[in-house]
Amino acid sequence: MKRPVRGLVLPAAVWLAVLVLVAMASPALAHEGEEAVPARTQVQVAVAILRTQPEQVDLAADRINDATEAKDKQGVDVDRVEQAKKTLEAGDMAATELLLEQALGSCPGEPVTNPSRIRGKLPLKACPAPAPHELAVGRVRPQGATRASLLAIGALLVLGGLLLTRRVR
Amino acid sequence: MSDTTVERPVAQPPVPRRQRLWDALDERLGLKGLQYPVPAHANTLAYSLGGLSLITFVLMVATGIFLTQYYNPAPDAAHDSVRHIITGVTLGGFVRGFHYWGAMAMIVLVGLHLLRVFVSASFKRPREGNWVVGVALAAITAGLFFSGSVLKWDQESLEALEHNIEVGKLLGRFGFWFAETFGGIPLLTRLYVVHISVLPALFTLAVAVHLLLVKRHGMAPSPFRRDTAKDTGAEPTRPFTRHLAELGVLALVLVGVLTLLAVLLPPAHGPTPIEGIEVTKPPWPLLWVYPVEDWIGVSGILWATLAIFAALLLVPLVDRSPERHPRRRLPIVIAAGVVVAAIIALIVYAWVQPVVSHIPM
Repeated sequence: MKRPVRGLVLPAAVWLAVLVLVAMASPALAHEGEEAVPARTQVQVAVAILRTQPEQVDLAADRINDATEAKDKQGVDVDRVEQAKKTLEAGDMAATELLLEQALGSCPGEPVTNPSRIRGKLPLKACPAPAPHELAVGRVRPQGATRASLLAIGALLVLGGLLLTRRVR
Repeated sequence: MSDTTVERPVAQPPVPRRQRLWDALDERLGLKGLQYPVPAHANTLAYSLGGLSLITFVLMVATGIFLTQYYNPAPDAAHDSVRHIITGVTLGGFVRGFHYWGAMAMIVLVGLHLLRVFVSASFKRPREGNWVVGVALAAITAGLFFSGSVLKWDQESLEALEHNIEVGKLLGRFGFWFAETFGGIPLLTRLYVVHISVLPALFTLAVAVHLLLVKRHGMAPSPFRRDTAKDTGAEPTRPFTRHLAELGVLALVLVGVLTLLAVLLPPAHGPTPIEGIEVTKPPWPLLWVYPVEDWIGVSGILWATLAIFAALLLVPLVDRSPERHPRRRLPIVIAAGVVVAAIIALIVYAWVQPVVSHIPM
């Protein structure tokens, strides 16, 4: 006679492990000791968040706030950070990013040739002409006839392959 | 009168042209050697995962050759060249998308193949050596994935490379290759060379050994069939060419799925990277080490990766009984299940957690 309980041992153990791990994992300590973090670092992180995760507006706003409240404000144009705070509240992401970069005195979009100065500070220098901000192309989908043709080819291959699988077996 | 009879030549039916062509090719290339028998259970999806992994690798080489015509591995030009591939090259974005999804598929297929071999105990005597070759292939696949993720040279790539450099420092003298000063060539350029030549060459070599050993030992018996579980030879067989035909058909489905994904969900390309900050997470196949890094630090990447591969290499030594059915190997199967569940849980946890800076600024 089969013992159905025995068959449940493995899935139960697996799920228990998943639950224990998820329960044990503590939330990230993202806001610990914010005042101790230099304003320059906070602004750098805010810029990077806006560039790479533009949907995380709240996260960027937190960093901008933290920058204004930081003890060490060296190398940061605080007025521009305050302006950036307002443009972010107004929903103008491009202006916010530009203001933050100007607050650091860095040129946006400068190529990193070698990551030799890892965790090094960005150079403090004037940025005469900010580079265009559309540096991330994001997701570019094929359009028009190319898109339709590729979709048709893909669908044909999937359907044809599935039909042939039955024949081959 | 003579009683001897003269035998008239019997008229042979004409050989079809297709058959003659096949015979001519066989005479020169020995193609009929591929018609050796393989057990029926080999013609299932579970036993085709290895073949599909190899087909995906070939697709990666083909699309990779296309991409290398336009990619510039110099750090100050790499980002622009990827942008050019996406926006300025005919079908460039599509081929890049196909390459991206193919890499994801290869990771999944290799992982599932490894799991299938483990669950069905196909690594047991005399196939332990081939298991080790398989683990090496999995490691090379991981290396190909990682190096490829750096080449697009956006914020995620730069942070991945920075972590790589930090791990290189942990290796002390053995991490010399990751030093910026080594060879006088930028690390990105050297990683590109590794991605397009060193690792593919090693993969091809290891696959050749892998396939030769599969041919030498034959297809492992299935623990789920009574007629093959004890190598009785009672299971019906089919020619290997039949297995190849089924693989070809599955490859059509795979190419179709990758085509659809490349069109509907092309991979994003981020902005030019900013040095010295950490605001992205790695792609999902590498995401499981992210929480480990939270808890242990950068060294967690090194130790967790080494632990996984060491555990894989030890499998044939730990599970040495002749039993093949998972129910009769419960302790090791449960242990493996816990490890797999832990990796999945870590990926899910890292997916939902906020971005954390691991390397001190």
